[in-house]
Amino acid sequence: MAEENLQDILEVMTSRKSIRRYKPDPVPDEMLDKILEAARWAPTGENYQPWRFIVVRDQETRNRIGDLAKVGSGSRMTAWYCLGHMQERFAGIQDLEKRAKVLKFMYSGEVSEFAKQSPVVIAVIGTLMEGSVDVPYDLSAAIENMLLMAHSMGLGGCWVHGPVAATRDARKFKEILGIPTGMGEYKVIAYVSIGWPAEARKYPRPKKNLEELVYWEKFGQTERPHHG
Amino acid sequence: MDRNAMLNEMLFRMEEVFWHELSDCAPWKTEYVGIDFIQSQDIKGANEQEVIASCIERIKAAGLAEEVDFTISGKGILLKLRVRGCKLMLKETLLRKSGIKPYSCPIANMIRDQLIEKLGYETTYLADLAADEASGACALKVAIYATPEKVGEVSDWSKE
Repeated sequence: MAEENLQDILEVMTSRKSIRRYKPDPVPDEMLDKILEAARWAPTGENYQPWRFIVVRDQETRNRIGDLAKVGSGSRMTAWYCLGHMQERFAGIQDLEKRAKVLKFMYSGEVSEFAKQSPVVIAVIGTLMEGSVDVPYDLSAAIENMLLMAHSMGLGGCWVHGPVAATRDARKFKEILGIPTGMGEYKVIAYVSIGWPAEARKYPRPKKNLEELVYWEKFGQTERPHHG
Repeated sequence: MDRNAMLNEMLFRMEEVFWHELSDCAPWKTEYVGIDFIQSQDIKGANEQEVIASCIERIKAAGLAEEVDFTISGKGILLKLRVRGCKLMLKETLLRKSGIKPYSCPIANMIRDQLIEKLGYETTYLADLAADEASGACALKVAIYATPEKVGEVSDWSKE
């Protein structure tokens, strides 16, 4: 693979952001197909391909998903705010009025309601009945492929896990989409919202330096050994 | 054989591996643990005070805990539970020894389940579980939301 192509891939990765505000414009089928095709080619243990995708454009269904997400996130964040945790997390926002607005946006659950506005929601679920090595890992790889493909075409996307993280919420999500609710049948890992971005978020986002993340040869060894 | 110790050791191992797999999400995944017992007890009550009191009565009668006290404050969202003499305290001790803060309480799960099942509460969330192995008591803060509109009604729980 040529060096410039490798650079292109890194550019797609580093410029991708989670987009939660969308224009109402529809996502063309051919673009959607590319996103799903990208998911299909994700790495998967033993080539089991446990992933299944439910593409939702219907407004009423997206409204129900948005409501579920709002209550799911909001119920946790309301408690975190009442315990003082949220205020610590957002203490970096110096403007008090702005901080209060951001906090309310979070603990009200509005932060997670955007499925209502995104033209497409793709539920990512995994079958537990046909053999698999570890379903969440395979599905996560598929989601990353989807987000990168969407971004490379100018679309925005967001990986949404929180609203289906609690067992009872995951069951409600399954009921909305008609997914069998047995714990041994399908696992809901997340949904991905897709649409044309209506926000321009700064990038690259703040990230830890590689020196903080990488060890050489053994855990804890931060000094890079000399080779050659 | 101490059957209660064996039960606690098995639960500890399950919770230990759950934490290893899921970290902060582990409590969210274990909210059904304990509900089978309480669902078999025909809990009745016209409001949250009666439902919770009924749950506690059955929990104590079954010998799961010696004392369970509760209060509701914080705009009706904060359910504080104090559990003494719980049969599952050993698993919390074992978790703490393995470096994991206790995160799942079947007794709280039972009460949360019945608020949803019997009174149609929108959702609940175990916000804090402080297990004190030395005194043999747990102090819990559970967020209970009767309706979706209750989400976002904040207050300062340190003053409650």
